[in-house]
Amino acid sequence: MNYLELLRALLPETALVVGALLALTFDLSFGVRQSRETRLHAAVIIGTLAVVAAMFGALSAGVADAVFGGVLVLDELTLASRLGVLMLAWLTLTLTGGTARLRHPAEFVAIVLFATAGFTLMAAAQQLLVAFLALELASLSLYILAGFDKSRPESAEAALKYFLFGGMSAAFLLFGFSLIYGLTGSIELPQIAHQLARQGQSPLLSLALVMVLVAFGFKAAAAPFHLWAPDVYEGAPVVSSALIASASKLAGFTLFVRLLWPGFGPAAGSVATAAGSPGWLPLVACLSAASLLLGNFAALAQSNVRRLLAYSAIAHAGVMLLGVIVAGDAGLGPLFYYVFTYGLATIGAFAVIAVVERAGCCQKITDLAGLHRRSPLLAGCFAVYLLSLAGIPPLAGFFGKFTVFAAALNLGGLAGPAGWLALLAIALSAVALYYYLVMLKQALVVAPADPASAPVPVPADAAIVLVFTALLLVLLGLFPSVVLRIF
Amino acid sequence: MTPATLNDYVLISAVLFAIGFFGVLLRRNTLVIFMSLELMLVASTLALVAFSRFNGTMDGNVFVFFILTVAAAEVAVGLAIIVALFRKRHTVQVDELNTLKN
Amino acid sequence: MNAHPYAFLALFGAVAVAFPLILLAVARLWFRFFQPPKPSLDKGAVYECGIAPSGDSWIQFKAHYYLYAILFLIFDVEVLFLLPFAVAFTTLPGGALVAMLVFLLLLAEGLVWAWHRGHLEWK
Repeated sequence: MNYLELLRALLPETALVVGALLALTFDLSFGVRQSRETRLHAAVIIGTLAVVAAMFGALSAGVADAVFGGVLVLDELTLASRLGVLMLAWLTLTLTGGTARLRHPAEFVAIVLFATAGFTLMAAAQQLLVAFLALELASLSLYILAGFDKSRPESAEAALKYFLFGGMSAAFLLFGFSLIYGLTGSIELPQIAHQLARQGQSPLLSLALVMVLVAFGFKAAAAPFHLWAPDVYEGAPVVSSALIASASKLAGFTLFVRLLWPGFGPAAGSVATAAGSPGWLPLVACLSAASLLLGNFAALAQSNVRRLLAYSAIAHAGVMLLGVIVAGDAGLGPLFYYVFTYGLATIGAFAVIAVVERAGCCQKITDLAGLHRRSPLLAGCFAVYLLSLAGIPPLAGFFGKFTVFAAALNLGGLAGPAGWLALLAIALSAVALYYYLVMLKQALVVAPADPASAPVPVPADAAIVLVFTALLLVLLGLFPSVVLRIF
Repeated sequence: MTPATLNDYVLISAVLFAIGFFGVLLRRNTLVIFMSLELMLVASTLALVAFSRFNGTMDGNVFVFFILTVAAAEVAVGLAIIVALFRKRHTVQVDELNTLKN
Repeated sequence: MNAHPYAFLALFGAVAVAFPLILLAVARLWFRFFQPPKPSLDKGAVYECGIAPSGDSWIQFKAHYYLYAILFLIFDVEVLFLLPFAVAFTTLPGGALVAMLVFLLLLAEGLVWAWHRGHLEWK
């Protein structure tokens, strides 16, 4: 029990929390007489500094085995996931500075920082209690962010739905954890794995695994636990939706892949052959198949941009779950690469929506009509994001899909569910391409509905986000080994 | 009368959890749904304490402290959301919340 | 017992579904046979600890009560952590004391924030 060692491992979280407190204090003392615009920019600058400090903290914490008696672990996954989450949070904050109109700017930035602290802690947790607390810190902050816009009833409704589903998933997770603790007598993942390997399958264990997977399904927005996603993506403020869709997903997958493989790995079962063997892998495969089918087909019927992105997020969650399945064999590289590049593309797409919404309305897909005339920069970046989400080479989304599918086919060829899922996902990519192209057609080809419609001004902060994410998607697509080499 | 065994505790906590779950699914009033959510958390608390007693380790008891705190924080956030919603919509019935539909 | 490993799960699911349904059904039957509805003025009256009720029971409370309750809750739960800390105080290293002070400071910051924003003023 060395508190200095603990402090060193928690440098990113410390930086984020101190940043949040500074943002609040600054606003309370100096911001009283300032305009809302100035207060927002001051808060965003403090928040950005905190995120940058947290990045240095994560790098200086380095790679260590187990910290503070095995409560935290600092491995390559922790480092990569922390840096990824912090980068996505930085993009969100910059976007906030450029596009958001908030009544309480400092509070918004502070809660974004608290949520980010929850994400980075989720990336490092190696014990059920810390995992639960980190997840709740992140979730509670996200509920508030979803309902932050008190002038719109949709925002509060989205927050309530998110809260009710999230609260239920937390209760399921907790009940699963309590059963795991009862079975193994420990809340630390290495001991749990050790005990599970000795005990083998038991009915109570299956129950616990199902409970944990239900919570995972909620967090990842996988079908049939996806009901909150479209409403939240549509109703929440755009910036909150961007954070919920990107950083929260990366942190959630990091947490659960660590729970499932190093923790409950001995109870994994198998999906390599047609018969398989019981465990959590077959259940994850079912979730993955359901998400792929439901997400892609329901997205076809959407006319609202944000709802469409939400259903496409459900479809992507299906591929990510396939990445979880292959993580045992092929390592974490494919999963991390896929989730991270997905987060970048999604945050970019939400940035485009935020900028268009600032200039007018961005609800229906037809509201994007003529974007190439109104703002060529927005239209060009939008094309990069959507094509990356669709998986068109040479963008990052293509390589992400490629590595996940290749790993799944390596698992047992076409002899088992893993291979079938890969084939299903490849087939459904064609469906996905269709609805992405429908959006792109509006943005790039169709003439503006009103020929005299004004050009969309792009604030400098938002332009940074747009160009940075688009460039990163191209570069990561060309040099994927930069990320994959970490693992 | 025989003393309660571990199985009894786990059974009771499972039943509490099921009651809470059905409350969430069947009730229409947000506040009652909210209480049912808390009941689900309390069910896990009971199981943790029982397991802690029978495993002979303190981890479960420590877990319970933190669950109580998290539950309090959850109540604070949840009630704030309900108050914000009530000010805008003047209802706490979930079936009347249908602005967000395609 | 060598049933299928998921058999217990199915059984658990069935019991968990059946239990509330049975309760609901019993409540329904009880209502049907033993509790015919006979509403009257006295039965429908507001219960006010035995004295004659004044006014409606549906009055709106000020949302301010809620803020006070939340602030109370924060410091109420704080004791939950302080008590075990105090019990084990003599055996803990210095780092634990610092950690606890940081915890208290974070809580105090919340109070200061609420104070500065004027949430403690009774309007």
